[in-house]
Amino acid sequence: MGVTVGHAPQKATRPVTAATPQEPPGPSEDDLAARFRSGDEAALREAYDRFGRAVLHLAISTLSNRSDAEDVTQATFVAAWLGRETFDPTKGSLIGWLLGIGRRKVIDRLRASAREARVVETVRQHPDPAPSRSDPDTVVDRLVVADELARLPGEQRRMLELAFFDDLTHHQIATMTGVPLGTVKSHIRRGMQCLKRRWEVDGATHGPRPAGLPGAR
Amino acid sequence: MQHMDHDRLVFLALGESEPDNGERAYLEACEHCRSELENLRRVADLGAEGQGLHDLPDPPDHLWQGIVAEIRAAEQLPTLVEPRRPVTAPDASADSPARVLSPPARKRARWSGWMTTVATAAAAALLGVVGTAAVLGGTEPAPAPSPQQQTVRASASLTAFGETPPEVNGAARVLDNGQIHLHVVNLPDVSGYYEVWLIDPGTMEMFSVGVLGGGTDALLPLPPNADLERYSVVDISAEGYDNNTAHSGDSLVRGTLTG
Repeated sequence: MGVTVGHAPQKATRPVTAATPQEPPGPSEDDLAARFRSGDEAALREAYDRFGRAVLHLAISTLSNRSDAEDVTQATFVAAWLGRETFDPTKGSLIGWLLGIGRRKVIDRLRASAREARVVETVRQHPDPAPSRSDPDTVVDRLVVADELARLPGEQRRMLELAFFDDLTHHQIATMTGVPLGTVKSHIRRGMQCLKRRWEVDGATHGPRPAGLPGAR
Repeated sequence: MQHMDHDRLVFLALGESEPDNGERAYLEACEHCRSELENLRRVADLGAEGQGLHDLPDPPDHLWQGIVAEIRAAEQLPTLVEPRRPVTAPDASADSPARVLSPPARKRARWSGWMTTVATAAAAALLGVVGTAAVLGGTEPAPAPSPQQQTVRASASLTAFGETPPEVNGAARVLDNGQIHLHVVNLPDVSGYYEVWLIDPGTMEMFSVGVLGGGTDALLPLPPNADLERYSVVDISAEGYDNNTAHSGDSLVRGTLTG
């Protein structure tokens, strides 16, 4: 067949936000969100175990300084916990909300360091240094889409991974997997719909903005 | 206007083919389909960029400890600034054994004691009830008050601090007779001894209450004028035999007195 697969499609993909690979997403997550909101402190630890990696990734890939990134991650969870009553599960997922808080803290930090840079180096020609870092909105969006991808039913996920990561055409996917072309197409179409919907709900561009968190900074 | 077939939009977004001339003209004209296509393209790009996000490294341990410490500090603030109820229990509740609830010695979840304290104390205050503790008895406390039982003025659950394993935990209770009862389990072996401190979390000023022996329980007298609203943090440290009376800096468990 001559198709090279760059990743291991048979390997189960772990949701960005899953604590363990075998943990099924779904109802338990709603439950976690509800417990978190009601102030069950065990839910904070669970949320951290699941979402801490994603929040830290957001901070690391947007801030140039590792210790700033850890500070922002810490501040995000502290702010989320202290402001947990402002979390509205009808407006998005807990991870989307946490990433929204993290995103705002990242932006605050970036602005603060830009101000410092201006003060320190008044003669700098480019007002916005450090172009190598990623844009916070894009990182949030990537995390949200990757998380949704990992939650799709197995076949849909597999087809989309082959299209995204291995850049295979629908025909190539059908040939490679032995799944009829029409089925490949419908899996991909449904999968794309799910990704888009989730992106619209939880993504940085569309997602809900966390409400004001008093004293949570 | 009839919109484009959605399957076709997905197809185009994934780069399966290029729009033909008719489609191109149509997309120029139809804002709805054009924006749908753009969104689908964006999602496809994001999906492709997300490779590798499923094996993100775990955050370092100190991050969680920092979160707990910061939340603990934040949640203490109100109790430090709010006017406190008088520490002495109302006579009515002290005299009515029927209203005394079960002893507060509860098993705590691994790490969660630090916030339960506040809730427990608040609930107790709400009911106007003070718990009792069977001091050093080790047996089932009798429902009726007996000479060994003392009214608890304030209590704290003690949870592992810093590098201490989470299974090290316990409780501290300040009794009406001016003594503090400490109960700690799973203390790690140390080369020296354990010392009990009361700390002012605002200034980190502290004084030593005494030494904890080898057992899990100890009853230590408090100075009669001890200001427990100020020195509200109970701390047990590992100390070496070094003729240094200051805190070693090696705290094993801590907890905040409430009540």
